[in-house]
Amino acid sequence: MTRISAKYLSRRLIVSYATILVIMTLLFALIRSMPGSFINLMMSPGMTQEQIAALEARWGLNDPLWQQYIRFMFNYQVGNFGWSPTQNVPVWDLIVRRMPRTLILFGSTFVMGYMIGPLVGMYLGWLRGSTRDQAIFTGGLFMYSMPAFWIGWLVIWVFNYQLGWFPSSYLVTKFPEFEWTTWTIITDVLSHLALPVISVTAIAWVGSMLVMRTTMNDVTDSDYVFLAEAKGVPERAIMIKHAARNALIPVATQAIVGIAFILDGAVLIENVFNYPGMGLLLVDAVLNNDYPVTQAVFFVLAVMIVIMRLVTDVAYTYLDPRIKFGEEN
Amino acid sequence: MASQQEELSWVDAAKRRWGYRYERFQRGWDQFTTHRLGVVGILILVVFMLWALFPSVFAPHPVNWKAFVGTEGGYLTAEQIRSMPHPPAFGDPFFAPLGTNYNGYGILTELVYSARTALYIGFAAGVLSSLVGVPLGLISGYYGDTWIDETIQRIADIMYSLPFLPLVVVLVAIRGITTTNIILAIVVKSWINNCIVIRGETLSLRENAYVDSAKVSGASDTRIVFRHILPHVLPLSFVYLAQDAAAAILTQAGLAYLGLADFTAHSWGLMLQQIQSQGYVFSAWWWLIPPGIAITLVAAAFYFIGFSMEDVANPQR
Repeated sequence: MTRISAKYLSRRLIVSYATILVIMTLLFALIRSMPGSFINLMMSPGMTQEQIAALEARWGLNDPLWQQYIRFMFNYQVGNFGWSPTQNVPVWDLIVRRMPRTLILFGSTFVMGYMIGPLVGMYLGWLRGSTRDQAIFTGGLFMYSMPAFWIGWLVIWVFNYQLGWFPSSYLVTKFPEFEWTTWTIITDVLSHLALPVISVTAIAWVGSMLVMRTTMNDVTDSDYVFLAEAKGVPERAIMIKHAARNALIPVATQAIVGIAFILDGAVLIENVFNYPGMGLLLVDAVLNNDYPVTQAVFFVLAVMIVIMRLVTDVAYTYLDPRIKFGEEN
Repeated sequence: MASQQEELSWVDAAKRRWGYRYERFQRGWDQFTTHRLGVVGILILVVFMLWALFPSVFAPHPVNWKAFVGTEGGYLTAEQIRSMPHPPAFGDPFFAPLGTNYNGYGILTELVYSARTALYIGFAAGVLSSLVGVPLGLISGYYGDTWIDETIQRIADIMYSLPFLPLVVVLVAIRGITTTNIILAIVVKSWINNCIVIRGETLSLRENAYVDSAKVSGASDTRIVFRHILPHVLPLSFVYLAQDAAAAILTQAGLAYLGLADFTAHSWGLMLQQIQSQGYVFSAWWWLIPPGIAITLVAAAFYFIGFSMEDVANPQR
C-alpha cells in the first residue's frame, strides 16, 4: 500500500509550511494595527520622555518595519515568542503550560463527537423518514443552534448544582482533602474534565451526524446494497459492513471543518469553566491588551489547525482507496 | 386601439419574461413545503421578524420601563432593590411575565426589543458573505485550473486555517466593539464556505452544452457566468446564506459572553453577558433561559430553512 508517495507527502508539507508563513505575515500586520503600543503596559505615569524612548529602543520599536518583520518571522519559527508584559514571564512558558490542557479537552471532545455523530447518523440515514429519524434530526439541529456557553451553564446547573456529580471549574481541586498520588491526580483531572467535554460534545456531534445521515441515505440506494440484500445478508451487517464504510468518507472531509468548529467551542467553554487552557489565555490577553500573548496564542492555534488538517488529509487518502495522489495515473 | 394593443403586448412581454420564473419559483416552493421543518423554520422566523419590526406591539412595556417606577423614572426603595431580579409577576406589584433583571428592566421587553439586533446581524452577515463568496466562487469555478482559480483557492485555504472565534475576537478588539464591526469580522471568515461550494457547482455546470453554445454565439465570459450559470447556483447560495446567518447569530452571542458585545444595542447575547457579570446565572432562571431559547430558535430556524432548501437546490437529488 504505497498510495501515499513521498512526493505527495513532501508537497503537502511544503504547502502547510507556506501557509504558516503567510499566517505569520497576516498576524504581524494584524497585531501592528491594534490600538496602543506594546510598551503601554510597562509605562507608568511618572516616567520621563527619555525613559519611554529608552523602553521603545530596548524593545526594538524604533527599527524600520522590515527589520521588525524579519526578526518576528525568525523568532517565531524558533519558538521565541517574547515576554508577557502582564504576567511577566516568557510567553513560551505560558503556552507550554496551557497547550496540553487544551489538547486534552480538544482531543477527548473530538473523539467523543466523532464516535457519537457518525453512529447516530448511520442509524438515522438507514431509517430515513421514520419518526425516530425526524425527532433525533430535529433535536440535533436544535442542539447545534444553542450557544456553547449557555449549554455550559445548563450543564453546570444540572450536573454540579443539582446532582453534584462533577466539579464546575478549574483543572484540579483547589484545596484538596486527599493526598496527591498518581491515581487521585488522574481521577481528579478527569472529573474536572467531564463537564467541559460534555458541553462541547453536545454541539460537536451534530456536524458529523448531518453528513453521515445524508451520505448514508445516498449509499442505501446503491447497487451493492441491493446485491447484499438479494444475497440475504442480515440487515445489520449490510448497514455496518457495506453501507456505513462507504458513507464514512465524506465524514472525513467534514472533519476538516469540524476541527475548527470544536476548537471554537473549546475556546468558549474554557471561559465558562475557568479551565486554564489556551482559550482562557487568549481572551484574558485580548481584554488586557497583552499583545505578545495574543499574537502567540493565535499563532499556535493556527499552527494546530494546519497540522490537524494535514493529518486529516493524509488519513482521508488512506480511507478512500479510490483516491490516488502524487502519481501520474 | 393602438394603446390597448400596446398594453396587451406589454402584459405578454411581462408574462413571457417572468412567467417561467414564477413557475420555477412555484415548483421550488412546492418542493420546499413538503419539508415540515422548513415551514416551521419560516414560521419561527416570521414571528421574530414581527418582533423586530414592531417591538412596541409585542412587548408588554416600552423599552425604558422599570419595575415599580414605570416609565416616569425615579428611585426604588431599598426594599424594592433587594427584590431584584424579580421573578415573573402578573400584576401584583407590577406586570412582568418573565420577571426583571437586576436593574428592574422587564426580561420579556428586552427580549422583544433584542430581536432586531439578532436578525440584523444574521441577515447582514449572511448577505455579505454571499456577496463576497458567490462571485468569487463563480469566477474560481469558471476559470477552473487556471492561475485565477489557484489564487482564490490558496487564499481560501489560508483563511480556512485561521481559527474562527479567536480571529473574530482579535479583529473586534482591534476595530472597536460595534455591531457593524462584529458583522464584518464574521464575514472575513464565513465567505469561504460559500466560495468553495459555489466553485464546485460551477465546475460541473460549465461542462454543460448550453455554456458551449452561449460561447459559440459570442457571449462574453461575464454574460455566461452571470446570465447562464448564476441562476443555477443561486438556490444553493441561499442554503449557505441561511447557514451563515445562523452561525453569525451564535458567534455574536459567544462574543457577547466574552465581553465583546455592543453595549449600546439590546441583544440576547448582552442579556446573557449581564446575567453572568451580575452573578445571577444559577439563581434567576427567568433571566437565564429565555435569551438562550430565543437565540436557539432563531439559529435553528435558519438551519431548518437551509436544510430544507438543500433538497430543493441540490440538483443531484
